[in-house]
Amino acid sequence: MATIPQLDAAGSLFKLDPALDDDEQELRLLHTSPRLRAWLENELQGLQSAANIEMTPAEQLDALIHTYSSGLPLVFERDFKAFQPKPVQPIGDGVWYLKTPDLRIFGWFWRMDCFIGHVADTTERVKQFDLYQGYRGEVIRFRDGLPLDEPKSIPGDDPNVVISNYDLPD
Amino acid sequence: MSSFQITISPTRRAAARFITGVRRALQLALIEESKKRGLTQSDIARELGVHRSVINRELRGDKDMTMGRVGELAFLLGRKPVLLLPEKKVSEGSNHVVDVPQYSVQVTSTASTTAILEKELETQHVAAA
Repeated sequence: MATIPQLDAAGSLFKLDPALDDDEQELRLLHTSPRLRAWLENELQGLQSAANIEMTPAEQLDALIHTYSSGLPLVFERDFKAFQPKPVQPIGDGVWYLKTPDLRIFGWFWRMDCFIGHVADTTERVKQFDLYQGYRGEVIRFRDGLPLDEPKSIPGDDPNVVISNYDLPD
Repeated sequence: MSSFQITISPTRRAAARFITGVRRALQLALIEESKKRGLTQSDIARELGVHRSVINRELRGDKDMTMGRVGELAFLLGRKPVLLLPEKKVSEGSNHVVDVPQYSVQVTSTASTTAILEKELETQHVAAA
């Protein structure tokens, strides 16, 4: 088993640098799987907004990561959301997704304010082809196979234990 | 540690973060007013003569917002929007120039606006001295 820095050094995870200003402090962390890094570097740049808004998907994600990383308040279910537990489960499996108008980033919190993203897609595709459960399964499989020290994940779907500073939507 | 960044130009990064900051300030103000006096998106939509979905999409970021709309929303939220554009400064001992525009936006109650401006002027006065 390994720590996050060891997995980072081995190329199993990558730290996403939020490019904060000189007067900002990184208060939440975000790592990506190799698959998500490749998607962010190769696919994201060419995407246009399906919502036909000024900000491109890349700009939307940069702004969300800035908010997330600098510790500014997030809005539950608008910026981040959990999968609800299945009927047979007493508790959710701890898979969450970050949201922008045009993007969904699926992953999990290994500690409070520490997110590991594994897979991303456009909101349009995820909804059109109903990809939510498929991506949920892919996150769980990646997490299970990752030799990260236990506990690998915060279980459940309670936002209070994964994000330190958030508000509920109006 | 092998970190990477999302590739985006500094100007577009500044623009996206500014737009998101404005929208977030309005979202949080609405949450606060909703708790305080039960204000809803429907109430705001009715006052502006638009469908509730228009306000919802603007606040969610699914629809662009004009500066005029920012003013309207701030007014209906009982707030006064304040845009500050302090000059870029390089800290003493710093070995690089700050290349990100240093501005901030606040949606604040009218009562505290004066206090913020006074504090800003006081800070500038101290810095000048």
